Amino acid sequence: MDLFISLILLNKIIYIMEKINVKKHEHQFSYKEHFGTWIGLVLLTVMTVSFSSLWTILGELAIVTALFIATSKALVVLEYFMHLKFDPKLYRVMITVVLGLFAFFMIMLTIDYLTR
Amino acid sequence: MSTATFNNQEFSEQENSLNYLNAQKGVFSWLFTLDHKRIALLYLYSIISFFLVGASLGILMRLELLNPGRDLIGPQTYNEVFTLHGVIMIFLFIIPSIPAVFGNFMLPLMLGTDDVAFPKLNLLSWYLYILGAFFALGTLVFGNGPADTGWTFYAPYSVKTGTNVSMAVMAAFILGFSSILTGLNFIVTIHRLRTPGMSFNKMPLFAWGLYATSWIQVLATPVIGITLLMIFAERVLGVGLFDPSMGGDPILYQHLFWIYSHPAVYIMALPAMGIVSEIIPTFSQRTIFGYKAIAYSSMAIAIIGYFVWGHHMFTSGMSGPAAIIFSILTFLVAIPTAIKVFNWVATLYKGSINIQPPLLFALAFIFNFMIGGLTGLMNGALAADIHVHDTYFVVGHFHYVMFGGTGFAFFGAMHYWFPKIYGKNFNRKIANISFWIFFIGFQVLYFPMLVVGIMGMPRRYYDYLPEFHIPNVISTVGSWILASGLLLMIGNLVYAYFRGSKAVSNPWHGITLEWQTSSPPPVHNFNKMPELNKKGPYHFSNAMDA
Amino acid sequence: MQWMLNNKFKMKNHFSLPNSGHNFDAKGSKLGMWLFLFTELLLFGGLFLTYLVYRNLYHEAFLQSSFHLNKWAGFTNTIVLLTSSMTVAMSIVALKKGAKNKAIWLLALTIIAAGIFMVIKYFEWSVKFEHGLFPGMDHYMSMEPGEKIYFFLYFFMTGLHGLHVIIGAVFIAVVIKKIANSKVNKDRVSLHENAGLYWHLVDLVWIYLFPLFYLIR
Repeated sequence: MDLFISLILLNKIIYIMEKINVKKHEHQFSYKEHFGTWIGLVLLTVMTVSFSSLWTILGELAIVTALFIATSKALVVLEYFMHLKFDPKLYRVMITVVLGLFAFFMIMLTIDYLTR
Repeated sequence: MSTATFNNQEFSEQENSLNYLNAQKGVFSWLFTLDHKRIALLYLYSIISFFLVGASLGILMRLELLNPGRDLIGPQTYNEVFTLHGVIMIFLFIIPSIPAVFGNFMLPLMLGTDDVAFPKLNLLSWYLYILGAFFALGTLVFGNGPADTGWTFYAPYSVKTGTNVSMAVMAAFILGFSSILTGLNFIVTIHRLRTPGMSFNKMPLFAWGLYATSWIQVLATPVIGITLLMIFAERVLGVGLFDPSMGGDPILYQHLFWIYSHPAVYIMALPAMGIVSEIIPTFSQRTIFGYKAIAYSSMAIAIIGYFVWGHHMFTSGMSGPAAIIFSILTFLVAIPTAIKVFNWVATLYKGSINIQPPLLFALAFIFNFMIGGLTGLMNGALAADIHVHDTYFVVGHFHYVMFGGTGFAFFGAMHYWFPKIYGKNFNRKIANISFWIFFIGFQVLYFPMLVVGIMGMPRRYYDYLPEFHIPNVISTVGSWILASGLLLMIGNLVYAYFRGSKAVSNPWHGITLEWQTSSPPPVHNFNKMPELNKKGPYHFSNAMDA
Repeated sequence: MQWMLNNKFKMKNHFSLPNSGHNFDAKGSKLGMWLFLFTELLLFGGLFLTYLVYRNLYHEAFLQSSFHLNKWAGFTNTIVLLTSSMTVAMSIVALKKGAKNKAIWLLALTIIAAGIFMVIKYFEWSVKFEHGLFPGMDHYMSMEPGEKIYFFLYFFMTGLHGLHVIIGAVFIAVVIKKIANSKVNKDRVSLHENAGLYWHLVDLVWIYLFPLFYLIR
């Protein structure tokens, strides 16, 4: 239970840190903002490693949690380090299409193998 | 909108003498060129050469199939011949053909700019193409003979066979890179270099076709890249991911292969449809019917095309539910294609039809693509496919769409833009004759395949049962007729290159931007700002459209 | 070389278009880079799809095989790469502020991080070679099918990723050189930003590789 609370707390910390950073924004990042992003990413990494040792409790959910955290990290890298958050909308549309395509491949392959 | 775009412009003596062809001389000025027009011609000459090699292999196959039993070559050689025929035709001819030749040449002109976004990358694409071709044809010379797996390189045979599959997949990998870089170049060109005032919805439809194609090139090709890399690794290491004895699943290979190779056929089809969308308005002297429908249907085909790959695998052992889903999606993709056909026909209706060789090729495209497309639907129907999969019905189907469709569009584009590219006229009478011989030969060659396929003749065999003899004879004779038409056509154009009379800048009265510059174009494409037709790229000024 | 590639020969009074393809276009350059990143995503994507399928088929074997991997080596490598992403992002901030030397130092740190990553990877791989776990080796050939698939995928995917780390490091080295001779500067940042994007992609791939191979527990 306390692990879930710490998860929520950590998420809140990251969210607040990002909010502080965002306020100053035009299109140029600052060193501080990148450092903040890094802290967030490191925390997420620590989270994912510590959660992995809970596989006995989580069971099936372990992989879901791990991928969920990995995806959060990926989104942070994309939005901040790669500047997607402040880029023209076109880029967001493009990457959504690409990831959607990939998702479709995953879905169809899963359907095939599950229903054989 | 000015009528100057309609008539043939007078270009000054000086402008007429200095163009991209004669501005710089010497082999190195060609091999190290950054001019998209010269790169297009580099592609043209190499593509036609490889096409002729592939066509010869096709003729050889038809000779073997003239009679049951062994005529000229045995089963092993036959397997290598049809594999190499497929690899050359698909990777060295059809996929690059229209984008690399006409896309490279015409896209910047049509957009009113002077080059693609990344000219050096463009040249690199050509060098990669040549390198890939070297490896593909190298399989004839190096190793234990060309691959004998079929162009699809299905595992586990492709991993186990002693023939030079490794070099063949290396070729395909490199050619894939060439394709990706071309696609990347075109997307950025279309996004960034359109002439001021030309929004996406005022672009010519050929540009839309190339745009959709380029997205497929960029997103689908990497998947086959990695799949072939896995095959290569498995051959080198001796163990791998698709070997059933090691726990691998050969069907996974098929999934990964077709995730690219189905969108690949839309790489082949979409530019061809773009060409038809250019030719039809010009030779009807009418604006295209349903511009947006055609433009967006190109994007729709590109997108839906990603979702249908399983229809190549209905008999492979894939799950039933997955097969059903793929079959339904396959039917969906026919809809945007049909929309295009309706729009083209509607454009012709009440148009001022000018029957010239390019129009003949475009009409032949519509005819052939209808047959090819409808037989495709028959293949896509799950139950019917069980019967026709791996028969000559499939072979007939894809030759109708790829050769009868894209091939005809390619040659149509050759005739359409020949005067622009070389500034010379070709002999129209001979072009018409060669077209008809080509067209008739095509029908005689491929229609019997549809028949004999339903009768049950399997593909990729050097031999067949006696009951299939007659259609095979007809088909082989068709191949000779087609070959004569092809040679006459190419000969006619080559002759025109050397001895053709000087062409005016706009012989067909087209109104897209490439017709506003001289023939051949100057090095930097335009010597004055091109005039954009404010009402749309095909808005001919005649009473019909007023 | 320049004369060979330079086809912009001189023409008297040659008219030049406003939308010329020969102008330097920062936005176009960025778009091109992103498109290239999509191709890389789908290249690795094919491998991730393969992983997806086989993990579902050989769940137990994948779990057992993952015990061969050192979770802390993976964790360290993850931190190393995340840090390198930060340094490359900071180097762009520096360059945009005109702080040339800081930019170069930060890029150098990025390359050092890449080096550390490869060294750790080298040790990880060596251990596995010693245990005969590379496809084709004796111990490998005696394993269960699912384990064979796991290790084939492990070496293939981390190997391909390592290759991209090296390519990225070389790219960054090129950018360092160009910053040093001012070809890349605060008014012409494109190459630097594109190198940064490429590097972040390398980081992104690892973000998924790490839990999928190391943390199946």
